[in-house]
Amino acid sequence: MEETSASICIDIPNLLSTFVDTFVDFSVSGLFLLPPSPPPPPPSAPAPEFPNSHSHPLPPFPTRLPSPSRLIAIGDLHGDLEKSKQALRLAGLIDASDRYTGGSATVVQVGDVLDRGGDELKILYFLEKLKREAARSGGRIITMNGNHEIMNIEGDFRFITETALDEFRVWGEWFVVGNKMKNLCHGLKTPRDPFEGVPKSFRGVRKELFDGFRARVAALRPNGPISRRFLSQNVTVLVVGDSIFVHGGLLPHHVSYGLEKINEEVRNWINGSTGRFSPAYCHGRDALVWLRKFSDEVAKNCDCSTLEHVLSTVPGVKRMVMGHTIQAVGINGVCENRAIRIDVGMSKGCGDGLPEVLEISENSGLRILTSNPLYQNKGNADVGKEEGYGLLLPEHRPKQVEVKA
Amino acid sequence: MGQTESTEASVNVNVQTETAATTANNSNHTSLDSILAEAAAYGNKDQHTESIEAKAQKALECPCVADLRSGACGSQFSEAFLCFLKSTAEEKGSDCVHPFVALQSCIKVNPDAFSKDILGEDESREVEPIQEYKIIPPTWSKESRSSKSRL
Repeated sequence: MEETSASICIDIPNLLSTFVDTFVDFSVSGLFLLPPSPPPPPPSAPAPEFPNSHSHPLPPFPTRLPSPSRLIAIGDLHGDLEKSKQALRLAGLIDASDRYTGGSATVVQVGDVLDRGGDELKILYFLEKLKREAARSGGRIITMNGNHEIMNIEGDFRFITETALDEFRVWGEWFVVGNKMKNLCHGLKTPRDPFEGVPKSFRGVRKELFDGFRARVAALRPNGPISRRFLSQNVTVLVVGDSIFVHGGLLPHHVSYGLEKINEEVRNWINGSTGRFSPAYCHGRDALVWLRKFSDEVAKNCDCSTLEHVLSTVPGVKRMVMGHTIQAVGINGVCENRAIRIDVGMSKGCGDGLPEVLEISENSGLRILTSNPLYQNKGNADVGKEEGYGLLLPEHRPKQVEVKA
Repeated sequence: MGQTESTEASVNVNVQTETAATTANNSNHTSLDSILAEAAAYGNKDQHTESIEAKAQKALECPCVADLRSGACGSQFSEAFLCFLKSTAEEKGSDCVHPFVALQSCIKVNPDAFSKDILGEDESREVEPIQEYKIIPPTWSKESRSSKSRL
């Protein structure tokens, strides 16, 4: 029996560490997360380890995935948690108590979770919670990098709101408390100070905001706790079945550079192994996360021939799905639906648009799930076909289905 | 800081024995992990509830948490940690909202509840040179122009 109390103490540093992480997460986000899903142990495996007490390796990094029976694509969220949830609800991905109900669906969020709204961390945490729940039901949620993720990791904070800055300040306080708690247990190695090397002041900035900026730099710079934990899971380009997803748009030279290579390099940068600034293809108007060649709201301004060329260089791909440019008319397609533009500007911080998501399914093909009552399904299964809304919509808007948010 | 906890803390240290650490790696050791996992798997209440309670209590006496229990928020920490250890919820700890909130509130009132009282730690950090780290702040965050001379 004495042996038991001794062996209990052997486990305590790890359990304390998990406890502190859970407590800090709860204090920042109000959420409790499932343990990250380990590969299911074989039935003959020895007694299971205590869940959550060991970190599991990241799941393989996807760049190309086969077509799932149901795929949902969600546009820019920009710090608006409420709208994000509405979008997820539209697609039946979460229930009234915010639990994942999407079954085996694959969900792609095309980036720009950050900036323009105050719930950035809350969304990152919420998506993380759903990722873990989805994994249990055989589903998968994939998040991507938008230009606003890239900018913030580099310290370009031009589009942040005051509430957002405060959310990070509070995060910083709890994170430091957590580290202090871990520090008091001798069995744990001293945690890395996330504020190391972060300036105490910022020229030209109001003094009372220094703590918020310090926390934001600490959290989001390459290898910062938030970047490493959440943003490093993001892909920058993704092929699922016959669709290619990218925040801004893809040009031929991106494809020849290598999609896997791009994902890996951006991820390595976010994890801190390649310095402060992202690779060159993340900067400028032709960058994957900045391009607007295929997302101009005016259909005739879209470069369909370049698009055609790009798509022909990626085997099996029929269309490009993009965010980044707000579509006031809602989700729509141009270039014969080979460019699908899904940023509906839903965030209160930019557009306050009605949430809409894109569904690509084995059975029904491409559909828009919308909260816009204009497209109410009046008992006619064909409602929302392209011809029906000529006055309001561009030519190639896929079928709409109104869903109660 | 919490005077009431200090007596408990000194007791804790004595509980640990030298031999404890060496025998612990035996393959047949009964770890808290496996006890809890077993309890969760079989839900055999009468036998295991007491066992978990007892083990969790013992865990609180481990040296790792001695300092945490002696601080200004020591009792809140103990409650929250105990609850967490006993939690069999899938989202471990999600049945501990009340003790977690109590710990939060205590820390808000006592921001230094878990600071190490050792001098020097913070000073050594200060010495480290901080490189230039330029950020681009939003316009709303900038100092008003009137207080600065224009260039």
